[in-house]
Amino acid sequence: MVPEVGASPSSMAQPRGVKRRAAWVRDSYRRQNALFLAPYLLGTLVLVVVPALMTLAVSFTDYQGIQAPTWVGLDNFRRLTETPLVRFSLYNTLIFVVAAVPLRLLGSLGLALLLDGRRGGGLARAAAFLPTVLPETAYALVWLWILNPVSGPLNLMLGALGLPAPAWMAEAGTARLAIVLMALMQVGEGFVVLLVARQMVPAGVYEAAEVDGANRWQGFWHITLPLIMPWILLLLSRDLIVSVQNTFTPSFVLAYGGPYYSTTFLPLLIFELSFDFMDWGLASAVLVIVYAWILLLIWGARNLIEGLRRREVSDAR
Amino acid sequence: MRGRVATVLVHLARLGIALLSLLPLYWAVIISLRQSGQPPTTTLEWWPQSFHWDTYAEVFRTVPMARYARNSLFVVSLALPLTLLTASLAGFALTQLTTAWRQRLVTASVALLLVPGLAVWTFRFHILNLLGLVDTLWALIVPGLAGGSPLFVLLFYWAYWRVPHELYESARLDGADAWTVWRLVALPLARPTTIAAALLAFVLYWGDFTTPVLYIYSTKMYTLPIGLQLLRQMDETNLPLLMAAAVMMALPIVVFVVLVQVLFLRDRSLANMVDIE
Repeated sequence: MVPEVGASPSSMAQPRGVKRRAAWVRDSYRRQNALFLAPYLLGTLVLVVVPALMTLAVSFTDYQGIQAPTWVGLDNFRRLTETPLVRFSLYNTLIFVVAAVPLRLLGSLGLALLLDGRRGGGLARAAAFLPTVLPETAYALVWLWILNPVSGPLNLMLGALGLPAPAWMAEAGTARLAIVLMALMQVGEGFVVLLVARQMVPAGVYEAAEVDGANRWQGFWHITLPLIMPWILLLLSRDLIVSVQNTFTPSFVLAYGGPYYSTTFLPLLIFELSFDFMDWGLASAVLVIVYAWILLLIWGARNLIEGLRRREVSDAR
Repeated sequence: MRGRVATVLVHLARLGIALLSLLPLYWAVIISLRQSGQPPTTTLEWWPQSFHWDTYAEVFRTVPMARYARNSLFVVSLALPLTLLTASLAGFALTQLTTAWRQRLVTASVALLLVPGLAVWTFRFHILNLLGLVDTLWALIVPGLAGGSPLFVLLFYWAYWRVPHELYESARLDGADAWTVWRLVALPLARPTTIAAALLAFVLYWGDFTTPVLYIYSTKMYTLPIGLQLLRQMDETNLPLLMAAAVMMALPIVVFVVLVQVLFLRDRSLANMVDIE
């Protein structure tokens, strides 16, 4: 128990000791607090920051994992542009991002608007969330069956509707499309974030707009969308990199990057370069490009969201 | 009248989305009930044609799935509580910092959300190797020491930040230390967040395919996701067997999601659990 300052004459007589005791209690609270943060900060340092710095350093060296790294300057970055596998995988990744990210964002927004009911819709929300949290390997295996060109349910359904039945994972173009399709059903995270963002818009704002004669579409376009824009931008930045990472398991399990390397995206490339070819220098150079991309996204998200906030403040005035 | 039509349309669309989301898993269940090794038909089936539950037992006879399940359970049973403890404590500690430090660490954590795991795959291997953890199940557990992911720390931080700070202050004035304030004041008030984080952490560790692919080599250390991949490599055409294994692996997650929805939320949504209101 902390003695209450000024509670009794004896504590009045020893103001110094009481102060010291209060300070000690305060400091021990701070020490405990620091202790609580320690595992997170230390773990992040050891498992994220240090490996990232090592990558940065090794990208300028030749390192096969056996002998000590030797300095080669920008040689790895020159090799990046000359290695067909690297170029092709960057091209695949770009195609994936351009096709999947906008569609995923639209899907999240659509689900958030449609499944946002203060009453009911709870089970539909759980169902829409489920494909995102299923174990990746199990989900990929299920698609191995769905995408089977001859007996898979997707092609049987397309056939019944009189539509063409593609070869999916057996052909380069449709293999990429299949990976995009799988990613489109896993928008649970974005959908939950936008659902929460949407519910944070006070109901009074809509009532006021309704009084002014705004319809539903105007309500969405002029009220909801601007208010949840910072969340959309944060999601966009996250999806531009995280959806790429998430291609690893599907492309690994369904076709191991094939056919003809068409589903070799960045994660599989980095895996191959580091753990199959043991070319840690080249792998690090690829990762440095990824770091530049991440920094650009962080910087872009920060500026866009700050800009929106500033505009909101000036609008309010 | 127009309003009623719109409501019916919304409900139909919701039903459509729910069915579409469940369809892949449903198809997998149908095919898993065929006899192991039986080739699939070329007609669309909406209902199981047979109930060969033996296909599920066959999975355990084909690969040492029981051992992989034990390994997976070992990882989850240690990593999940560790993650909740470290993330919850870190999230609480963030709310108790001075404004300057709080802002710095929260901004850094949000920035970390944009850093994908693949950014550190290569040299995390070297660190784990130095620590002697490569090719042990500890390689899969150790991220739990760091709160699992900055997302969990932030979830807890946002939950604890919404609690009126006078509650923490008055407990402190009563002489409670930080551990007691966390355990008796903060933690009980953030129960929905703890459940949400538990669900997401379970998903993270139970389904993790990447980490064992990168850092586990001995077959006796394999976890379930690797077991599934092994099964696929053995016979890609035995779809009933593959789907049975996939369904078994997905089942705990489905049960977890449904339990959370039914027991804890009823009318509220998963979204409310991680609410940032």
